[in-house]
Amino acid sequence: MPAEVVERIPPGVRLEMSRAGVQIMANRIGVRLLHIKGAMTDPALGPRIEGTDVDVMVDPADIPRLHRALLAGSWTVYSTFRNNSSFEHAQTYFHPDWGHLDLHRRFPGIRIADDRAFALLWAGHGVSSAAGVPCAVPSFAAQAVLLTLNAARAAFPGSAAERIWDALDGPARKDCLALVERLDAQVAFAAARGDLERYAHRREYLLWKVTSQGGTRTQDWLGRVRAAPTLGARARLVLRAPLVNTERLGHKLGHAPGAAEIAREFVVRTSRGARELGRAAVARMRPGADRSRRTASAPVSAAADPEPAERGGG
Amino acid sequence: MTRYRPAPEVGVIDQDDAVYVARLPEGPVVVLAGTAAVVWRAACDPGEGTVADRAARSVDQDSTTIAPAVDGFLADLVERGLLAPGAD
Repeated sequence: MPAEVVERIPPGVRLEMSRAGVQIMANRIGVRLLHIKGAMTDPALGPRIEGTDVDVMVDPADIPRLHRALLAGSWTVYSTFRNNSSFEHAQTYFHPDWGHLDLHRRFPGIRIADDRAFALLWAGHGVSSAAGVPCAVPSFAAQAVLLTLNAARAAFPGSAAERIWDALDGPARKDCLALVERLDAQVAFAAARGDLERYAHRREYLLWKVTSQGGTRTQDWLGRVRAAPTLGARARLVLRAPLVNTERLGHKLGHAPGAAEIAREFVVRTSRGARELGRAAVARMRPGADRSRRTASAPVSAAADPEPAERGGG
Repeated sequence: MTRYRPAPEVGVIDQDDAVYVARLPEGPVVVLAGTAAVVWRAACDPGEGTVADRAARSVDQDSTTIAPAVDGFLADLVERGLLAPGAD
């Protein structure tokens, strides 16, 4: 696309065309996907915030095929599932004409298997339109659930979650809560709505406490280890903790990081982790400190912490 | 032919003073502004008469005067795969 033409196209138009293009690509290869967030949100759930990228949730079985089609269509991987966010839920692609695409294989907060979650969200899906192209979107109740779970990772989750809840009538609230139950997403849903303490006994409690209220990177990491569903997943998190996210470092530097830059970042990460663990140990040893397991590792506010955990993207 | 429709797999956004059309997912996005937007809208409008007749009403021109330019433009859009002949 010539530069002079691109410059005349409003960002919202480009985004909508991009969304429609991804849908057509999926149609061609028989891939099921749901358009989530942004302009595809039902207006009854609040003001449509256009966003800056296309967000789709894809049938996990179809992801390899869509990935190949995207690469064949001049999209490049901007950030992988593993490095995009600590939830590892989305992979980001970039196209010079169409911008960014977040391909979700799961949604943070949903605990059931990815394929079962997609099947539940696909059931009862509706259709919206982008640039005149029919696009599948989750049902109204499912949109409310996803937006609420998304709010749990925002700076002020309560206000967004309440706005969404207020937009639902009685039957819609019932549908919403039933879906939360079926998706096993109660903890993240409660975190968004300020009701997290009801789930203090759940293994993902700390993760959502840190995610919704802030905390150090170490607390975030501990929360993820505790929340990991299997021993293998826990071991993987432990082993990966000191590794440098070279994609994120590359985006920060503006170029592919060299060996020296990666080594420097490795030292920074391990030093930061050691400092945080040291501070936590000192806090535990202080006279009068509450030594209950939960309180000892409970997060501090992000504002008071010099190195807050990064919030997951997508 | 007096009526057209967007070709299959073509995205269309009619916004403000322009119509944005693109063959998807390849692109590019083509911006139809001013008279070009008027002709696109007239082509896809199910109203009476020829495309030139409908466009002429919007630009306050005589349809016979603008018909050659309109037909040439429509042929170009069809050749680009953006517009397809529709049922009368």
